[in-house]
Amino acid sequence: MKKNLSFVIALVVTAALAAVPLFVKKDSLLTYLCMILLYVSLASSWNILGGYTGQVNLGHSAFFGLGAIATRLLWFAGWNILLAMLVGGLLAIAFALLIGSPAFKLRGAYFTIGTLALGQILYATVGNLFPQISSMPVQDLISYTLVTRYYLFLAVALITVLAATLVANSRWGLGMMAVREQEDAAESLGVNAFQHKLLALVLSAFLAGLAGGAFAFFQIGYYPQYPFSPIWTLDSTMMAYIGGTGTILGPIIGAIFFVVLKEVLSLNLAEFHPTVFGILFILVVLFLPGGFMGLWKRIKDKQQKKRESMAELSHP
Amino acid sequence: MLKLTEIDTFYGDLQALWGISLEVREGEMVSLIGPNGAGKTTTLQSITGLLRPAKGSITFDGHDLLKVPPDKIVDLGVSMVMEGGRVFAGMTVLENLELGAYGSRARKERFETMEHVFKTFPRLKERLNQRAGTLSGGERQMLAIGRAMMSKPKLLMLDEPSFGLAPILVDAIFEMVKGINKQGVTILLVEQNVRAALELADRAYVIENGRIVGEGSGEALLSYESVRSAYLG
Amino acid sequence: MLQPLAQNIIYGILIGALYGLAAVGLSLVFGVSKFLNVSHGELLMLGGYASFWVFKLLKIDPFLSIPLTIIFLLLIGFIFYRLIFSRLIKLEVEKKIQNSLLVGFGLSTILQNVALRLWTADDRSITTAYSGLSFELAGLRLPAVRLISLAISVVALISLQIFLKKTFTGKAIRATVEDWQSASLMGINIHRVYLLAFVIGCALAGVAGTLVSICYSIDPSMGLNWTLKSMVVMVLGGLGSMIGTFVGGIILGVTESATAFFIGGNYRLIAGLLLFLIILIFRPQGLFGTKEGDR
Ligand SMILES: Nc1ncnc2c1ncn2[C@@H]1O[C@H](COP(=O)(O)OP(=O)(O)OP(=O)(O)O)[C@@H](O)[C@H]1O
Ligand SMILES: [Mg+2]
Repeated sequence: MKKNLSFVIALVVTAALAAVPLFVKKDSLLTYLCMILLYVSLASSWNILGGYTGQVNLGHSAFFGLGAIATRLLWFAGWNILLAMLVGGLLAIAFALLIGSPAFKLRGAYFTIGTLALGQILYATVGNLFPQISSMPVQDLISYTLVTRYYLFLAVALITVLAATLVANSRWGLGMMAVREQEDAAESLGVNAFQHKLLALVLSAFLAGLAGGAFAFFQIGYYPQYPFSPIWTLDSTMMAYIGGTGTILGPIIGAIFFVVLKEVLSLNLAEFHPTVFGILFILVVLFLPGGFMGLWKRIKDKQQKKRESMAELSHP
Repeated sequence: MLKLTEIDTFYGDLQALWGISLEVREGEMVSLIGPNGAGKTTTLQSITGLLRPAKGSITFDGHDLLKVPPDKIVDLGVSMVMEGGRVFAGMTVLENLELGAYGSRARKERFETMEHVFKTFPRLKERLNQRAGTLSGGERQMLAIGRAMMSKPKLLMLDEPSFGLAPILVDAIFEMVKGINKQGVTILLVEQNVRAALELADRAYVIENGRIVGEGSGEALLSYESVRSAYLG
Repeated sequence: MLQPLAQNIIYGILIGALYGLAAVGLSLVFGVSKFLNVSHGELLMLGGYASFWVFKLLKIDPFLSIPLTIIFLLLIGFIFYRLIFSRLIKLEVEKKIQNSLLVGFGLSTILQNVALRLWTADDRSITTAYSGLSFELAGLRLPAVRLISLAISVVALISLQIFLKKTFTGKAIRATVEDWQSASLMGINIHRVYLLAFVIGCALAGVAGTLVSICYSIDPSMGLNWTLKSMVVMVLGGLGSMIGTFVGGIILGVTESATAFFIGGNYRLIAGLLLFLIILIFRPQGLFGTKEGDR
């Protein structure tokens, strides 16, 4: 019953999002929606490894960047954009497989700083190898339409959220959550922690790679290093935490909140947007471990209890 | 002198102590015995402030210990030797002893106290500038007790001081504990070595599954059938 | 070939001293409280800006402004500790490292943003009358300010070492590093020890920042790399040994300059990070010297 309702809501939202370009003609608004969708993809893909599996990955931008760089090169070389993106995602997977077994030798915070270092290595290396700005060729600029980009971002976001939902509700998802809660205990129950972590990493990397591909298709000119910047990782992490890690809706809410807050602040505090977000993030880590979703659950539980005690009172 | 009334202590959601009440009077040597996981260590840690009971009261010399911050409890004259001694392995014997007298009350008299400790544990004086980590097991336990004595305690609590030591050393340690008690220091001793603990003690408590299940003079408990069959084989 | 290489190595040693100084602060905080404060690099940046502005506006010599920087960072450290880090104390070790790392990131985002808005993205460096001065030794150039900075780093380190070895408070800090429960039983107020170690760590970062702003340059986005370098050094030097950490700093400095010499200046950072990853992977557990009693 409840599942059906969620499904219907998801369908309606998807349809509404698909219909948006029919009504919204303003480029600024559409761009704005593109950003939200991009951040939804990033935060949700981060969440598969960082939230559901509990491996806080601070090298997420590496996957985003690899997807972007491969897609951009192939697309400029004349490939079909979807094919180019697929290769971008596969490149991210290849990298995930390469680093998987050494990275997962590290546990907890060591994994976190290890991935941070890895992300920085890639960031610096790409900066060294591709110091020139990458601009769209003229023919692509002429045929540039925002609506196409919008649909691409929407598709990637939908795929990401769908994949996260499917995995979270599968046996694999259960295993991942077991690994998050108590790795040793999970192992003793027969869950292969390494396999679960690796799967989460690969999936997370692939989806981030797709998002990078969409970004490469969207952004007119940028330094190839830019998608590798730690800022993408930090933003994804913060969005997931603020919305609520280890939930499907959390990263989505976090991403929407992130972009909307940025817009609201732009009225008078635009330049201090990272500060506001940083403060919020700290508050969530300290006082609200489940983020907005956790808060929502707590409120609902309280109401539920109230209702139960009321019911007891009226039917003694 | 020390009085625990209806103590409940938790580890997170897990309740380890259920309404523990016990009393130690001035000058006494009291033993607390019980099987592994019974809650002996938890009881001692609740007294020293390393753990805070959720319910109940603990008074010492008229002070409500639950209201005293952990670092001030030692100043009141309560000292504890943890399981395994837990000396600061990277620091010298001398530094370990100095830290024993960290509290403001004991710090002023630390040189005299140290001489006194050397009388009980002459071995420590020979090892003064050696890193505690390089001491033998018995020496470590001596250092741990000596360090606790540096705070000039009125009540000394020992958590399994004989654990892991060779039998001759065990006897030596118990002798020393007895000596300390004779000097007027009240002792609360947690032991797995039940026979020795009961022989040594004026009184004893038996704890199981976080509850006190028996109490009496050492001799009485020694002859008590259930204790004999459970702990003395 | 040999002459430039030797020159490079010397520069490596000189900057390595600053890496060491920065890392000692991070390592002290981590050792005592298990807070992995990844905003350490931003604290260093704050120290740099403090000296820069004091020099610019009040014309106070940057080396002489170090006491001011120290006071400023002690204060900042106190505020951050009270407001943020003190709330993590009760967590178990793993969670404590993880969460301190996360709030550190929040903090670093904030500080970076504030610095960018207040002071723009420009590179800044303090240029005094004696900035260009340098000595010649066997054909090698030894810039005066960097030599003085090396000396100051060494003095700071020795002072810290004496404080830790000789004073009661210093011993309390070391005891807490080894076993906080035992330390607490000695009557040591471990919360005060945590606070003290934290602010000292911040002050050390501040001093390093001042020296960086004199010898090299500072900018709002420098923090993350300095944090990473400090972590590399901390891992290289092993926890708990100030001397080891300092030597680790020199090793990193020399590794970087050798990389710059043989491969290219752009690869300095990467060399250090690769070194870090290699150590991380081959010594994952004993890494930060977690001893018994760490729970
Ligand atoms: N840090 C902890 N977290 C959770 N539970 C704990 C912790 N320490 C002890 N316990 C539990 O509390 C109960 C009492 O433990 P305690 O250490 O007090 O027993 P003990 O009588 O000292 O046993 P032993 O003779 O083995 O030292 C046990 O069930 C134990 O599993
Ligand atoms: Mg015990």
